[in-house]
Amino acid sequence: MADSTTLPSPPFDSVSALHFAPSSPDRLLVSSWDTTVRYYDTSDTAPELKAKFDHRAAVLACAFSDDAHGYSGGLDTSVRELDLSTEKITNLGQHADTISSMSWSNSQNCLITGSWDRTLRFWDPRLAQTSSQTQSHSTPERIYHLDLIDTTLVIAMASRLFHIYDLRNMSSPTQQRESSLKYMTRSLACMPDGQGYATASTEGRIAVEYFDPSPTSQEKKYAFKCHRQTVDDVDRVWPVNALAFHPVYNTFASAGSDGTVSIWDHKVKKRLRQYPKLNTPLSAIAFNKEGTKLAMGVSYTWDDGERGLKTAQQPMIVIRKLGDEVKPKGWPGN
Amino acid sequence: MGKKKNKQVLRPWCWYCEREFEDEKVLMQHQKAKHFKCGMCPRRLNTAGGLAVHIQQVHKLEPDNLPRIENALPGRDGYEVEIFGMEGIPAPDVADYKRRKEIELGLAAGSISQPQAKRPKIENRPMSEEELKAQLEAHKALMGLNNPEPSTTSTPETPSGAVVYGAPSQTYAAPPVPMPPPHGVTPPVPFPAGASPPPGMPGQPPHFPPFAPGMPPGPPPPGFPFPPGFPPGAPMPFPPGVRPPFPPFFPPGATPPPGFPPPGFTPPPGVPGASPPPPPNFVPATLQTTSPSTISPPPFGGTAIPGANTPPGPAPSSNPATQSQGQSKPPTLTLPNPALAQTLPEFKKPTELKWSDPNFSPEEHRAIHSKYYFVKTTDPAPVTTSANADEPRGKKRARAEDFL
Repeated sequence: MADSTTLPSPPFDSVSALHFAPSSPDRLLVSSWDTTVRYYDTSDTAPELKAKFDHRAAVLACAFSDDAHGYSGGLDTSVRELDLSTEKITNLGQHADTISSMSWSNSQNCLITGSWDRTLRFWDPRLAQTSSQTQSHSTPERIYHLDLIDTTLVIAMASRLFHIYDLRNMSSPTQQRESSLKYMTRSLACMPDGQGYATASTEGRIAVEYFDPSPTSQEKKYAFKCHRQTVDDVDRVWPVNALAFHPVYNTFASAGSDGTVSIWDHKVKKRLRQYPKLNTPLSAIAFNKEGTKLAMGVSYTWDDGERGLKTAQQPMIVIRKLGDEVKPKGWPGN
Repeated sequence: MGKKKNKQVLRPWCWYCEREFEDEKVLMQHQKAKHFKCGMCPRRLNTAGGLAVHIQQVHKLEPDNLPRIENALPGRDGYEVEIFGMEGIPAPDVADYKRRKEIELGLAAGSISQPQAKRPKIENRPMSEEELKAQLEAHKALMGLNNPEPSTTSTPETPSGAVVYGAPSQTYAAPPVPMPPPHGVTPPVPFPAGASPPPGMPGQPPHFPPFAPGMPPGPPPPGFPFPPGFPPGAPMPFPPGVRPPFPPFFPPGATPPPGFPPPGFTPPPGVPGASPPPPPNFVPATLQTTSPSTISPPPFGGTAIPGANTPPGPAPSSNPATQSQGQSKPPTLTLPNPALAQTLPEFKKPTELKWSDPNFSPEEHRAIHSKYYFVKTTDPAPVTTSANADEPRGKKRARAEDFL
């Protein structure tokens, strides 16, 4: 049941992002505030650290293109390609400010990065030597998160702004939205069926939204409270730091600074499972491509500033094997 | 269970809280209301097992994540024992309870409880419970001590922490009246971060205490002229031996003194402040031009502290990336587009929001902390060759305009 393992040689500082490889179900890329990107084999028999890439500053984002190549970006503003077998690092170019998020587009065969410099940039790693940058688009606010599904790209910015782009025509966003949540956007994830996305705020709340601009689709959007606790009539509200959709069942997981992970079925608006509470916030989560594992970055998320750093526990990466709790009720073959 | 025999003597009692009841019906009502009530919905269950199943199935909590039974004595708050009225109470607990009742009622030992064999166990029982209580008290005391602590300590980071917790959004969204920082907290950036400190600055803190240990605080000795406009006595609130925050705190509106004289430097008599070095002029300027979108003391103290407590130069850091950054100070956070500034909406009920800055994410605050801060390149051009990455760090300079 509670089948979870902790990876050996975790980062020394908070986990900023983690992603499983696109085809191998066991390979995991983890970026950290300790200025490294680590590449793990998470197999049950012998989990191990396969490679470590040192950077000049904290790394906030990482991504896979294929199983052999990773990408990273962070406070030092450089976009890097990481060859996971030779451990060679190639610099692809630079942003003007911290790179906050990135994602690989299979449809466009390029890397997309978002930065606090208020630009969205596209990179083709095959263009070496000069800059690999192929496109740059400015946005009204600092980009906090981006995620894409097929040819639809969603970016979540500061000041609660959202832009939705069609990757085939990046001249202007197809939709510009304001968050339906009233507090800062903290996480974003697109549905694997391409219908919409989920987003969460610093105020323990998740919104489920749909791409289709027609009123019938837009009526279906909703938001709900989570990752909070009432103590002595005072609501304690934690940020929801990460969201991840299950690649097969279209359910999603949310992770918060309260140390819990919940699995939700957004179609029937029900919680399927809440995993045991941890004492440390969860900073990042990811499903593997088969949906058999959930990786959780358990580490301090700066909610208490420097003060919290002193009491923060050692970061951990926990791999949880998933059972039927991630399946919606009545899933065929259940 | 032997219950029948004692019915004349003992009234039904609740295993969870050891309360007595008129009859078992009332007892069961009590258990439903006090112990088998679901904490997450109004539902009341008949047994602990029922409650456990309810919480697992309705509220989706894992079996190993169930809340303890409410209002129960220590050690009796688990789901392992299936209690229904008087049914299911573990025999040792029955015997123990009977024995205590006997003592209480002044009856001879054994008049209620037949099984003498349970004696040794009985003797342990009150002890262990006292211990448990003592532990609980100790725990409470510990918690009680911990709670007020953060609010009473006056370490530099605490004010900022306090700001984050309770303060309304305006603190961040529009901080701005040029306000002197609270006593003991230094202004965020004494001079444009990134720019090399003005001459005279780096050497200043060591000079600052011209008070040799043993020199009394208070009015300075004659021959130590104060510049005009400087309230006498004000600049020396620090007891000898305690280094004042750097830069020193000046009352609002007061012109700061044109630099403190380096040791051995006596200003020529009659020419106070003859050669004011630039930095002091700059201090008020920065404060007054604080734009409404600049958050003043970075809420997490990190940026203010290195300047205040450490000698100039790189802040001590375990992060190799910040080791060779020279004199650069982390900047404050500035909104690129103040028109889009956010404020926190009001809460309908009392709420403790963990992250209460509506304009900057935890990562942005973390990125300017001295442990993580990374000076960006001078060249804002998006196009850089890969050779650039190998450029030595020392060549990279901060863009001053970023920090203003």
